[in-house]
Amino acid sequence: MKHLNRRSVLKGAAAAGAVGALSQTGLMDFARAWAQAAPWKPEKGAKLQLLRWKRFVQSEEDAFMALVAAYTKATGVQVSVLNESLDDVQPKASVAANTGQGPDLFWGLYSLPHLFPTKIVEVTDVATYLGKKYGGWVESAETYGKAGGKWIAIPIGYNGNVINYRQSMIEAAGHKEVPKDTAAFLDLMKALKGKNTPGGFALGRASGDGNAWVHWCLWAFGGNVVDAKDKVIINSPETAKALEYAQALYANFIPGTASWNDAFNNKAFLAGEITLTNNGVSIYASAKAGADKDPKMKEIMSDMNHSLWPVGPVGKPTEFHVAYPMMIMRYTKFPQAAKAFMAFALEAENYDKWLVGSVAYITHPLNAYDKNPVWTSDPKLTIVRDCAKRTLTAGGLGSVGERAASALADFLVLDMFASVCTGRTTVKDAVAVAERQAKRIYR
Amino acid sequence: MPEAVIREPAAAITAPSLWSRLKVNRDWLGAWFMLPAAAFLVLFLAYPLALGIAYSFTDARIGQDIWSAPWAGIDNYLWLIEDDPFLLAVFNTLFYTFVASVLKFAIGLYLAILLNNHLPFRAIIRAIVLVPFIVPTVLSAIAFWWIFDPQFSIVSWSLRQMGVISTNIDFLGDPWNARWSVIFANVWRGVPFIAITLLAGLQTVPPSLYEAATIDGASRWQMFRYITYPLLTPIIAVVMTFSVLFTFTDFQLIKVLTNGGPAGATELMATLSFNRAILGGQRIGEGAAISTAMIPFLLACILISWFGLQRRKWQQGEAND
Amino acid sequence: MTDVPKILHAPPSAAAPLTDESEGMRYLERLPRKLVTVYLPLGIIILVLLFPFYWMTVTAIKPKEHLLDLDSHSPFYTLSPTLDHIVDLLFKTDYPLWLWNTMMISVVATVLALLASVFAAYAIVRIRYRGAQWVGGLIFLAYLVPPSILFIPLSTVIFEYGLFDTPFALILTYPTILIPFSTWLLMGYFKTIPYELEECALIDGASRWQILWKIVLPLAVPGLISAGIFCLTLCWNEFIYALTFINSTQHKTVPVAIVTAFTDGDQYRWGSLMAGALVGSLPLVILYSFFVEHYVSAMTGAVKE
Repeated sequence: MKHLNRRSVLKGAAAAGAVGALSQTGLMDFARAWAQAAPWKPEKGAKLQLLRWKRFVQSEEDAFMALVAAYTKATGVQVSVLNESLDDVQPKASVAANTGQGPDLFWGLYSLPHLFPTKIVEVTDVATYLGKKYGGWVESAETYGKAGGKWIAIPIGYNGNVINYRQSMIEAAGHKEVPKDTAAFLDLMKALKGKNTPGGFALGRASGDGNAWVHWCLWAFGGNVVDAKDKVIINSPETAKALEYAQALYANFIPGTASWNDAFNNKAFLAGEITLTNNGVSIYASAKAGADKDPKMKEIMSDMNHSLWPVGPVGKPTEFHVAYPMMIMRYTKFPQAAKAFMAFALEAENYDKWLVGSVAYITHPLNAYDKNPVWTSDPKLTIVRDCAKRTLTAGGLGSVGERAASALADFLVLDMFASVCTGRTTVKDAVAVAERQAKRIYR
Repeated sequence: MPEAVIREPAAAITAPSLWSRLKVNRDWLGAWFMLPAAAFLVLFLAYPLALGIAYSFTDARIGQDIWSAPWAGIDNYLWLIEDDPFLLAVFNTLFYTFVASVLKFAIGLYLAILLNNHLPFRAIIRAIVLVPFIVPTVLSAIAFWWIFDPQFSIVSWSLRQMGVISTNIDFLGDPWNARWSVIFANVWRGVPFIAITLLAGLQTVPPSLYEAATIDGASRWQMFRYITYPLLTPIIAVVMTFSVLFTFTDFQLIKVLTNGGPAGATELMATLSFNRAILGGQRIGEGAAISTAMIPFLLACILISWFGLQRRKWQQGEAND
Repeated sequence: MTDVPKILHAPPSAAAPLTDESEGMRYLERLPRKLVTVYLPLGIIILVLLFPFYWMTVTAIKPKEHLLDLDSHSPFYTLSPTLDHIVDLLFKTDYPLWLWNTMMISVVATVLALLASVFAAYAIVRIRYRGAQWVGGLIFLAYLVPPSILFIPLSTVIFEYGLFDTPFALILTYPTILIPFSTWLLMGYFKTIPYELEECALIDGASRWQILWKIVLPLAVPGLISAGIFCLTLCWNEFIYALTFINSTQHKTVPVAIVTAFTDGDQYRWGSLMAGALVGSLPLVILYSFFVEHYVSAMTGAVKE
């Protein structure tokens, strides 16, 4: 028989106390357990520096920083996060790649990793592990992430760029919902302008919103910069049709869109100057955040909604959403720690929380996350759930590589649309200029 | 004996050593004194200038040094000559420089003449007038960006309130509006410099000349044309040459206000080379070619400004330095 | 013969050589006319010159909700000013760091440039070594090669020397903009110092170095101050080098930081942006207000050369 002496009571109490403590630190437990089990053991004394694009939604950043903190707790690796404006990430990454020094991890957009594939660490092992565990990657993730059959980067999030509109305004203009084909969409824009509640898409150097809509328009009418073999085919009647359509749209925009960068449509929409634009869900998030203090924000929040892009004559959706690939630079001293970080970020216990925190600003590339509660939390947000699956990739039919990245960075398509819409050049001339530039990039 | 006294050996006059001669030698001293300035200017100006011209004959990417960059001959230039955006940038730069300089000169001269009057608080007014020139360009450009906003411009709003216009002015979204807006911001910034310098020049004109002219019955315009202007030409030439130089190579104002938009309507050669070399395709070779292409145009503008405005310098009776 | 022009019998004060406090032509001016031809245009011009600063100030202290609503809240003034944007700027961003960067870089670059210019100007004006005139001309030519032509090759030079993303990249490149101007200016000042002083010193056996240090420089202090102030202003105003050579946020200078730091992805913090523009201009304006005369003489002095 066991002696119920002081020692055994104390031991029992200690055991009970330990169990209690364990359940409170369940997350930490997971983290530590993960760190033990993960195939990538961070190097001793590792420290990481991550450069990411500046957040669009505050809660997304908060959730991300919580994720980073959890990683540090799990592995003891300090991670410092640098924030740079979205357009600055690519130049800085290029400089770092070429000078061999800088942050260990870069988190950029579209085909950034393909600008310097030889200067990046291969991450096929991380990708295979995650793909197996979470229901497989979406197709575009493989396109963006792989070069020559090997994974060089992981698009750990996408951003859905969709139509943001004011329900009451489009109803006043005679439409119950945003039309599903381009012809009717043009009618809607005309009607909105007629009621003095116009819409507007950015035509300045807006690398997010501007690129999203011009590529949608170009592809919707069957135009393409290059074909599957990277031959330049932009000079085609389809491209001309797309440009003419854009011209017709522009005539019904609010004046001034040619000088808009990514922030202007947010500003205008939230001030009630426009009633329809394209954006991620950050406008809605802003309105929600300000709804308590400002009745106007509350009104916008309840009145607005999101919709998918109309389908053009080509017959299927031609959406262009933003992919955010994360990559590890080869000059890093701690590649294992960096790989561990990427894997950690996409593990359910962390990624789920981050998805929720980003209030649908971020969409997942792994199929298992379709079930994340954020997609059902607010019906207005469900629409972006599948954007990773629906998106076409940079470069259109052609390769997602250095040249596609170059074309995007040079605003080849955007400038073509802008010069036609503002009337600076004719359709023919604009296409000729774009073709010449494309040929130089894709030579 | 007298000879012994006379022939007392005097202290030997030794020839000064090489070193002590060198110390006072002008050329030697001059070289040492010039060394710091020369070092800076050679290392960080002359060498990069030559390097830039060299880069323009290559197809370098960002971060590549000149020796590993692939040679491209005059490919960059051949390509640029037919490149629409480049030709547009050249046109924009010349237009911008010419119009802004003429406006700055006219308004600056007018302001200088106004300030040359006997005014109360003249010193304070002069100090206030210079403020736009003191404040860093980008910061005042940010203010203008807001003033020229397509939806929230104070100018549009005021004009609408007064009933002059019914819709907002699209300052920066319409190609020609954008050009004029940018010129306005540049003139706003440059007028103080020109005005204050010309004012100093005006103040060296002896008033007795004006008195004599008034007695002879000259009108104010005649006084200006025959007395003021000729005496000012040397200063005008210098000031306008500076102004042309700064306007031609302007980068900050355009970058912040329009970044070359809309659709390249305000793209200057400086911003184009930055966008192409650093931001976009990161083709250093092409960017260097654009920069190098600026040099002949710049030289032409400066020479025109310097020799065109410089007249009758001999009348000043000043010896050239 | 008897029709001697009035001017020859002008009162003695009119004959004063440099300053002329006499009535001169003023008796011809009437106030109403002056009002229209002088005061009115002057007033309009000053209004246009100062309006953007007023606008900056008002926007910087306006509450966020009023900024975009021009119809219900007059844009010209605000009845509920707030210091929120300025507080945001000073405490929630790295503004103090950027301010420190800019000041440090400007001061060090100015000192370096002045040192180099003093020696160069003295050499050209007094030592007059062989080819001094040519060198002077070369320095002038250096002024004609502006930063926007040099920044691309300079960026590769900066990479090569390992200076990229450090303050030294700017400290060592700014003097190239400053030296031509200050050499020029100082040449003018040195020329006004009587040569006899130096002659005496030379005869007494002083070396050139001593002459420069002990005689010429103390007399040229106004010139040094003018050149220094102007150089500081030029450094603050420099943008393209700072934008190209500096990458990380903690090394940025004020102009670059204000332009790039206030975007949250696709939302600009307009109030803070204006506050940043305003506060970023203040140091220079304050410095300028103490040294207006020197600044003006720097500008006019250089131009007169």
